[in-house]
Amino acid sequence: MAKTEKLLVCCGTGCIANGAYDVADALEAEIKSRGLDVNVELKVERTGCSGECEAGPIVRLMPRDTMYYKVKPKDAADIIDSLEGEAVQRLLYREGKGKDAKYFEHMQDNPFYAKQHKIVLKDVGVIDPLSLDAYKAVGGYEGLEKALKMTPDEIITEVEKSGLRGKGGAGFPTGRKWRTAAGYDNFPKYIVCNGDEGDPGAFMDGSTMEGSPHAVIEGMIIGALAIGAETGVLYIRDEYALARDHIQHAIDDAYKAGILGDSIMGTDHKLDLSIVRGGGAFVCGESTALMNSIEGKVGEPRPKYIRSVQSGLFEQPTVLNNVESLASIPTILRLGGDEYAKVGTEKSKGTKVFAMVGKVKHTGLVEVPMGTTLRTLIYDIGGGIIGDRPFKAIQTGGPSGGCIPEDLLDLPVDFDTLKEYGAMMGSGGMIVMDDRSCMVEVARYYIDFLCEESCGKCTPCREGLRQMRAILTDICEGRGKEGDIELLERLGHTLEDASLCALGRTAPNPVLTTIKFFRDEYEAHIKEHRCPAGVCAALTSFKIDADKCTGCGLCSRSCPTDAISGEKKEAHVIDTSKCIACGSCREACNFDAIMTEGR
Amino acid sequence: MAKTYEITIDGKKCTCEHGEYIWDVAHRNGIKIPALCRHDAFGDHRACCRICLVEVEIKGRRKVVTSCVYPIECECDIYTKSEKVLEERSVVMALLAARSPESEKIQGMAKRMEADTGFERLIKLDNEKCILCGLCVQACNALGTGAISTVNRGTDKEVSTPYDKENISCIGCLSCANVCPTGSIAFEEDAESRTIWNKKFELVKCEKCGEVIGTKESYEFAKKDAKDDNDALVCDACKKKAIADELAATYRLA
Ligand SMILES: Cc1cc2nc3c(=O)[nH]c(=O)nc-3n(C[C@H](O)[C@H](O)[C@H](O)COP(=O)(O)O)c2cc1C
Ligand code: SF4
Ligand code: FES
Repeated sequence: MAKTEKLLVCCGTGCIANGAYDVADALEAEIKSRGLDVNVELKVERTGCSGECEAGPIVRLMPRDTMYYKVKPKDAADIIDSLEGEAVQRLLYREGKGKDAKYFEHMQDNPFYAKQHKIVLKDVGVIDPLSLDAYKAVGGYEGLEKALKMTPDEIITEVEKSGLRGKGGAGFPTGRKWRTAAGYDNFPKYIVCNGDEGDPGAFMDGSTMEGSPHAVIEGMIIGALAIGAETGVLYIRDEYALARDHIQHAIDDAYKAGILGDSIMGTDHKLDLSIVRGGGAFVCGESTALMNSIEGKVGEPRPKYIRSVQSGLFEQPTVLNNVESLASIPTILRLGGDEYAKVGTEKSKGTKVFAMVGKVKHTGLVEVPMGTTLRTLIYDIGGGIIGDRPFKAIQTGGPSGGCIPEDLLDLPVDFDTLKEYGAMMGSGGMIVMDDRSCMVEVARYYIDFLCEESCGKCTPCREGLRQMRAILTDICEGRGKEGDIELLERLGHTLEDASLCALGRTAPNPVLTTIKFFRDEYEAHIKEHRCPAGVCAALTSFKIDADKCTGCGLCSRSCPTDAISGEKKEAHVIDTSKCIACGSCREACNFDAIMTEGR
Repeated sequence: MAKTYEITIDGKKCTCEHGEYIWDVAHRNGIKIPALCRHDAFGDHRACCRICLVEVEIKGRRKVVTSCVYPIECECDIYTKSEKVLEERSVVMALLAARSPESEKIQGMAKRMEADTGFERLIKLDNEKCILCGLCVQACNALGTGAISTVNRGTDKEVSTPYDKENISCIGCLSCANVCPTGSIAFEEDAESRTIWNKKFELVKCEKCGEVIGTKESYEFAKKDAKDDNDALVCDACKKKAIADELAATYRLA
């Protein structure tokens, strides 16, 4: 048996919240108290996010590659025992229950990882993000070394060959952006990293900055060389304290090692990098609002029909790239653009990181080749829907993305395909919904979010969203009217064309796609006063199916208003006069005995 | 010399220079496009009301743009009254009308643009006139006072002084109220004082004719601007008269 040399404890934000530091401390204490086995060097290395956040904290034994999930400090002794023997079964990744359960010890057998292809996340969760040496040991800064021997034109050509397209959502070819910026003879020029990541539920960029900060910095240095910038800014979302710390640490180390500053790796090239804290609004991730925010102005998009590559930050030529785009650059330079372009589809090269959350069994961060189907993501990687309930929709592309129904699950996920259906791949947020999600309510939720997060500058977005929210709320609360669907569509189409920035122009997506794919659900609310999913309280009543009810009492205990009564082992009943239609009983019932109908 | 282009607007041939805004070229050629947040006094436009939208066709591809800030940089055909433009403009107008039910100007525009029917379902804001065009903020900034700005974001956006408190920068000059297209900036005035943006100002009068010149602060602000160190409180009309009298006196002596 291979000797265990390392114990990797995932210390991403999710795992820390679940107690990863305590686990690391317990493991260290256990190792100490036993006295180190002379032949075995044990190390608890703190790494960035491994991806499977809901199953954290995660501990990985290397190089035998045993992955333990949901580890508690009290498991430390068993884990240390397992170094010399059998893996601790209860901590392994499991599929199925009881006798049918299958256990997966190694990362590569685990279906969550098997279909993934890691480029951006390759070092995340594997190396110590606070160590420059660890980054160098996995090929870090080799891409930069190559770039320093190339002309700007050669660097850009390599990036063009890779086919890399911006991963912040719009999918603009990175090479073309760099070439345009390089073409302007107007100095100073700037390179800016967009680490604002404002989509609720998304944590791709945050995890990348936390887990592999040097990759982002290396990408920025290469970009700066290509366009001729000597100043760079990382605009990082205000809430991302850990990402900011790790990036700052990496910047400091890079300065000390002569990788940043007045002489990059001993050459004549210069680059200074600094961090700016985000303005705390979703719209600040939009390129021109972001630049206003860095300049200390109100974080509102600029109305000008002029591109940032020509006149961006302080009206100078500026390249703005997303974290994931920049973190892909070192690999492209190191292995060559052609190598990168082997992954992915014809028009969307490479990989994409997604943050998959919602009603899917295994949630977390996944990186797959472009063109992977939604079905593979949800069923093979995500393990299917929790409780094996029917799948209903997947929301992709963040708050202004769209909802995609079951019959489109075989679509490849890339920059262009989903757009044809009114949705978008966007920056990588994915929310999986089962049959107990009301699509009108989902649309209302996103429009409500956008009402708060729109900058409020232009009429269509500010007033259009206000009106859409009011109409959707009416529909959810039983006041929907004939003609509402058509009015929502009319407002939506105007927002798409007439809004000032891409926030307003994409904001109607959740409404328009749910109308397109789930129109009958809207109609049921408006015409039949019924919420088919049993979510909208004003339109739903709950009843217990006496044939299915086993009288276990779980529902009555979960009911906040004591509306459920019944003898043990006998069918229970709901007192409709007390019921507030919150749905707690339905969530609690293990026998699918709670039925919903209209009011 | 700047490059010039031959373009068409609603079929009419027009000539323009590189970078000129569609709205400006259209107006020079007698083609009217509605505008609310655009003012000749300012070179930069906020492009936020979105009522000036038009369609531009370049090499067979059409797109909707806001004419007040869209620079013409190639030969193109512009449509200010296409079906799409009229539809979207009427939706924008209806949204503004629902926002500002108390503004006669906006209600009148909505009627003329037939944006008053088919939108009864839209909720109206209570007691509101402001359309958030931002001209007041632009005027205040252009003066160099910068006392008001837009605050909050999203549907809660409004124009105010910081934290709704009286602001030391405000000089009570009424530039904001005068530029406002909907008359929504409230102020009160009596013989001695003026109150605007939660701040009360003392009014100063001309020492010669007794006419109100303005607030003490705005008078001093203007004087500082003109580097005028004459201490006397005299209105513009009396100043001119004084100069004329002086000239006349000089003449007579000569
Ligand atoms: C409302 C809004 C929010 C955005 N938020 C982000 C963000 O959080 N992170 C990001 O990288 N791009 C965001 N974008 C996209 C950026 O405007 C821009 O396209 C991107 O950062 C460019 O980098 P890329 O070409 O590498 O993708 C947002 C766009 C809009 C309209
Ligand atoms: S579309 Fe929305 S977010 Fe963008 S400028 Fe207009 S109000 Fe602001
Ligand atoms: S006049 Fe052009 S957007 Fe307001």
